[in-house]
Amino acid sequence: MNKGNRKFLLIVLVPVFAQVFVFMLLPILGTGAISFMEYNPLQTVNRFVALENYRALLHDDMFFTALKNTLVFTLITVFFNIIIALSTATLISQLKSNKTRSFFRMIVFLPCMAPIVASSVVWARSIYQTKGGLLNAILAQFGVDAISWIGDARYLMLSVIIFTIWADIGYNIILFSAGIDGIPQDLFQAAELDGAGRWRMFRLVTLPLLGRTMTFVSLMTLISHFQMFAQFNVLALKDGPQSSGLVLTSLIYKTAFVYKEMGYAAAISMVLFLIILLVTIVQQRLGKVDWEY
Amino acid sequence: MKISVSNRRDFRARAFIFVILAVMAACIVLPYLWMLSNSFKTTKETLIDPSHLLPKEFTLEGYRKVLTESPFFRWLGNSLFVTGTNTVIVLFTSSLVGYIFSRFKFRGMHFLFLLLLFTMMVPAQVTMITTFILVDGIGLYDSVFALIIPAFVNAFGIYLCKQFCDEIPRELMESAKIDGAGNFTIYRKIVLPQIRPALGALAIFTFLEYWNDYLNPLIYLSSTKNMTLPLALSYFSTQHATNLSATMAAAALIMVPTAIVFILFQKQFIKGISMTGMK
Repeated sequence: MNKGNRKFLLIVLVPVFAQVFVFMLLPILGTGAISFMEYNPLQTVNRFVALENYRALLHDDMFFTALKNTLVFTLITVFFNIIIALSTATLISQLKSNKTRSFFRMIVFLPCMAPIVASSVVWARSIYQTKGGLLNAILAQFGVDAISWIGDARYLMLSVIIFTIWADIGYNIILFSAGIDGIPQDLFQAAELDGAGRWRMFRLVTLPLLGRTMTFVSLMTLISHFQMFAQFNVLALKDGPQSSGLVLTSLIYKTAFVYKEMGYAAAISMVLFLIILLVTIVQQRLGKVDWEY
Repeated sequence: MKISVSNRRDFRARAFIFVILAVMAACIVLPYLWMLSNSFKTTKETLIDPSHLLPKEFTLEGYRKVLTESPFFRWLGNSLFVTGTNTVIVLFTSSLVGYIFSRFKFRGMHFLFLLLLFTMMVPAQVTMITTFILVDGIGLYDSVFALIIPAFVNAFGIYLCKQFCDEIPRELMESAKIDGAGNFTIYRKIVLPQIRPALGALAIFTFLEYWNDYLNPLIYLSSTKNMTLPLALSYFSTQHATNLSATMAAAALIMVPTAIVFILFQKQFIKGISMTGMK
């Protein structure tokens, strides 16, 4: 490599990777290290406690509540998100006019544009409000008594799930749409000649050929939903009644930045990291697709 | 003209699909209409019975309250400053490093690239604890720069730009090199124009990421005047817990501009997402 090239590489890569090291790698290693300490920024000495934080996790009811809520929230939301997104994308693809198709894609994507915290505030104050909220106003038409959507432990998680599907589904509809558009048209035409109806076409052509998109979409959606935080912070006020809206992300936030027990928070965040790693590995194994069109 | 039975059935199926989609679109838009409606209601109406779609008495009081009784323009300025700075810097570093990873070979390159990809998998909840200690340590607590300094490099951006640089025909760069162009000139005159679609998509994602970010501002910013819009809104909402119309007005003021930008550029947005598969 000549001198000019070497100089160019050094000038660019040294500052960039200094940044990567300080703000991306060091924080990962640092949080790993802090999880073995009793780290509190207000203390002068932070003791090394080895596995104490992790052992404490095993006896922490809050942690298990958060873990359970996170799993329930993520699995249910992602499941319905993908089913609804896939069916919507398929329905949109059935429309003849290009304009109508892009119109519907635009509408479903609108909530993805808005800050999720702003949408959460709108839902918390205007939709889920017990008195005069949109949802209860609609239900009242059918004679259903007012429900305390975010104030009742039985409904809180359901409310967050409905909200999250509404807020996040546009991305996946766009991704599935792109996947469907990518399927060669002659495959559909061949199926049509063979007399396949819409449903058979979906089951025998679209669905199997979307394998790659499906693997990618479900993995990305799972990873992002494990990390959702803003809507819990707004809709589940103070984690909701009986901690019914407590998830790992809110537990990490509270432990680290409200109680300042950063060592313990770091240990919880490592558990979250581990879950995401596991999900990624399992998903990669299950979702192996080895065909090409 | 005779319409065949199967054609008529097809038309009916299509009409049915259209109706389902229209209902779904209505469900998606309704919360926004509700927000706008509530934002124009009087405080009295929202306290007594806010369950009418149209305000009984139309008022701009909510908007006046947001714009005059809170530092709204200051919040807007903070958001614009953070988002603008980060987007420009990320586009610059991503394209430059993407170009290097695509066109140069040196020892350790593969390792550095894998390292970058690895950082993409780590959840924010893991890095935020140590990053906070670092940022606090250099005295940036409660400063908007806490949202800027750690955001100079974006692993996904580098990855995306590298993919696009790989597609640039070799001859283009070789001929420029023969004409005596330096690396930076090649970057500026050939690479940047060639990877424009990737940069467009990256600009959108980076913009949305920082414009909508809530977690980082929540951790770093404590004084009201330093907040960015999403954090400011949740603060405003708790401050005005009994004033529904003002809160909805604030939410509308935050969402309407991005919605307009989106509707104007929707083609690019949707192309960008399908192209990169990224949020």
